[in-house]
Amino acid sequence: MPSPSDVRRPFSRWSPTSFDGQVRLFLLPFLLGSLVLIVLPALITVGVAFTKYNAIQPPVWVGLDNFRTLWNSPLARLSLRSSLQFIFLAVPLRVLGALALAMLVQPAGRLFGGLRAAVYLPTIIPEGAFALIFLWILNPLYGPLNAVLGGLGLPTPDWLLNPTTARLSFVLMALFTIGEGMVVLLVGLKTIPKVYYEVARVDGAGAWQSFWRITLPLLTPWLLVLTFRDIVVSLQNTFTPSFVMTYGGPYYATTFIPLLLFELAFDLFDFGAAAAMMVVMYILTGLLVIGIINLVGLSNRDDVV
Amino acid sequence: MNRSILLTLLVIALLLPMAAACVAPPPLTTVSFMVSGGQEEYEAYKTLVEAFQSDNPDYRIDLRYVPDDKDYRRRLAADFSAGAPSDVFLLNYRRIAPFASEGAMAPIGSMLAQSTVIKEADFYQPAIDAFRYNGELWCLAQNVSSLVMYYNKSLFDAAGVAYPNADWTWDDFVAAARALTVDNDGDGVTDQFGVAIDPSLIRLAPFIWQNGGELVDDSANPTRLTIDSPKAQEAFQWFVDLQVKEQVAPDAAAEAAREGESRFLDGTVGMYFNSRRSTPTMRTIESFDWDVAPLPRGAQPAGVLHVDGYCLAEQSKNKEAAWKFIEYANSPRGQEIIARTGRTVPSLRAVAESPAFLDPEAKPASSQVWLDVVPTLRPVPVYVNWPPIEDAVSKEIERAFYGQATVEEATSAALSITEPMFNK
Repeated sequence: MPSPSDVRRPFSRWSPTSFDGQVRLFLLPFLLGSLVLIVLPALITVGVAFTKYNAIQPPVWVGLDNFRTLWNSPLARLSLRSSLQFIFLAVPLRVLGALALAMLVQPAGRLFGGLRAAVYLPTIIPEGAFALIFLWILNPLYGPLNAVLGGLGLPTPDWLLNPTTARLSFVLMALFTIGEGMVVLLVGLKTIPKVYYEVARVDGAGAWQSFWRITLPLLTPWLLVLTFRDIVVSLQNTFTPSFVMTYGGPYYATTFIPLLLFELAFDLFDFGAAAAMMVVMYILTGLLVIGIINLVGLSNRDDVV
Repeated sequence: MNRSILLTLLVIALLLPMAAACVAPPPLTTVSFMVSGGQEEYEAYKTLVEAFQSDNPDYRIDLRYVPDDKDYRRRLAADFSAGAPSDVFLLNYRRIAPFASEGAMAPIGSMLAQSTVIKEADFYQPAIDAFRYNGELWCLAQNVSSLVMYYNKSLFDAAGVAYPNADWTWDDFVAAARALTVDNDGDGVTDQFGVAIDPSLIRLAPFIWQNGGELVDDSANPTRLTIDSPKAQEAFQWFVDLQVKEQVAPDAAAEAAREGESRFLDGTVGMYFNSRRSTPTMRTIESFDWDVAPLPRGAQPAGVLHVDGYCLAEQSKNKEAAWKFIEYANSPRGQEIIARTGRTVPSLRAVAESPAFLDPEAKPASSQVWLDVVPTLRPVPVYVNWPPIEDAVSKEIERAFYGQATVEEATSAALSITEPMFNK
C-alpha cells in the first residue's frame, strides 16, 4: 500500500530529505545493530553447534556429535519436555489473559486508565527484580502468598520446593507480565469500527454474540501475532526466574532449555553442545509457529493477514 | 540550522574520549587481578593492592571484583572465551583441572622454585599439593581452610550441654543436636534446630572418609564413584538421618524459607558447618557467644580441604609482573593483610601461627582448630570433569537429605548420572 509521502514524491524513497528516506535512515542503526548483535551471532551459533569448542582451544569439527549427545542426554530431553509443557500452559493463558484484560480495561475514563497502568506495571519491572520479588512472595513459611492462603484456610503449598508447584509458579509469574500483550490488543480493539457493534445491537445481538461474531474474528490476526511472539518469548524467558529462584531445581524440575544451555556453556565449557541446544530451540520455535499457522489455516487465507 | 548544531555536538561527543586519552598518565606495568567474596574481602584485596603498588611504584594492579562466587566462575569462563582473562585470578583447587588441562593457565612451579621471596617449605604441604595436577603446580595456595563446626555457646549453656571438643564422636554430636532442637511454643513447628549443614558432596565427603569410605575408585585417575560401598553408604545414611530421622536439621521448606547460616546468625541453630569463609559474617554477631570446634569424629579422623590459590593465565601478556604480584600476595606481608579480615586460614605457617590469624582479641577463640586438623585434611579429586560430577552428586544428596529419595535411590541415580561424565 503506497503511503501518502510516496504519492507526493514517488522517486525519493532513499533521499535523506524525504519522509520515507528519513525513516529509513533512522531505522538503519537498528538494522545494523540486529545484524551485528543478533543475526551474525545466530549464524555463528549454528556453525559452533557442529564443533567441539571449549572457548579456550580452537573449535574442532565434530559433525552431528553434539546433537547425538543431546539426543541421548536424559537432562536435555527433560529440559525440552519442561519447556514445551511451560509453553503449552503459559502461552494460551497469557494470550487469553491479555485479551480478557484488554476487554475489561478498554473503556475510557480515569479509573480504567489507572487499571491499564496497573496491568502494564509488572511488565516494566526488570526481570531479575521481578524474580526476587516472587522468590519472597513464594517463600513457603514467611511469604505473603502462603500467609493469605493460610488465612483463608486454603492449602499452603511449598511452591518452589515441589516439582509440580514449582513449574506452576513459573506459569503464575508469567501471567503477571502480560501488559504488553494487553496494549497490543487494546490497539487492536480500537481498529474495529464502532459502527459494527451498533449495527449488531440494532439487529438484536447481545454482548456475547458481539464478542463472538465481531470482536474475536477481527482480532484474530492480532491474537496470532501475540501467540507467535509469546512462544518465542516464553521459550526464552524462563531463564531469569530459573536462574535466580530455583537454579533448575527442585531436582531438575525447572531446568528449562535456556538454563541447561547456559550451564552447558558457562559451567561446563561445552559451547558446542550449548550451541546445538540453541539450534534445537530455533527449530522448535519455527516448528511451533508453522504448526499454528497450519492449524488455523492461515496459509490459505490471505484475506486475514 | 538545528542540524548543524546537532552535528557539532556529535563531533564533540566523539572527540571527548580521545581528549581524555591524551591526558591519561603514561602507562605503567599493569596486572589485572580478579577476586570474588564479601565486602570485607574486597576491602582486604584493595589494601593488598595498595600495599603492593606503594612498594612497587612502577606497577599498577587492575582489581576486578565479582561479589558472588558462581557469577565469578562464569565471568572467568566468559573472559577466557573472549580471549581476555585477568592475568591473575583466584580459584578453588576443585575447579583448576578444566582450566589446566585446556592450557588456559600457566604452571607456576618453576617460578616458585626460583623465588627469592617465598619458598615451598614455608607453606602447609596439603595446601600446595592441592594444586598439583598432571605433574605441574598450577596455582599458589592462599589459604588452608577446612570444614569445621561453628557453635552457639549460649544455646549450649541454655540446653545444659557440654561444649564440643576434639574427642566428640558422631553419637555425642547427634545427642547434642537432639538437645538443641527445640519447639519453643509447642505448636509442633521446630523453632530452634540443633544443626544446619548444606546437603552437598563437599560437606558429606569428610564423613564418608571418617567412616573408611571413598568418593572415587582412584583419586588421581577416577573412573567411577564409590559412594555405593557399604562404609560410604553408612556415612551417607547417618548424614541424611540428621534431617529425615532425627529431624535436628531444617527440612526443605525451613531451609528454603531461611538458610542455615542466617538461622545461626539469629541464634536459632546450635551448630552450623562451614569453612573459615563464614568467620567474617559470624564476627558481626553481638547477641550471643560462639566458637568453632573440629568435626565430630568417626572411625578415623578426616577433614575436607578447602583451598583457593592465585592462578596465572596462560594468555597473560606479562607473566613476570603477574608472578611478582602473586609472590607479594603470598609473602608474609601479603597474607597478613588478607588474614586480618578473618576470611582465610593462611597457607604460610609463619602467618597462620602469628596473631594475624590467632588473634586472641578476635573471635573465634579456637581458631587453632583449623591448624590442628591440617594433617588430617584430604582433597576431593582434582579431575577435569569433577565440577559437574560434584554438582550432580550434590543434587542427589539434597534429595535424600530432604527425604525425597532414599539413600539407595539417590546413590544409584548419582552413579548412573555421573557415569558418562567419567568416560569423557
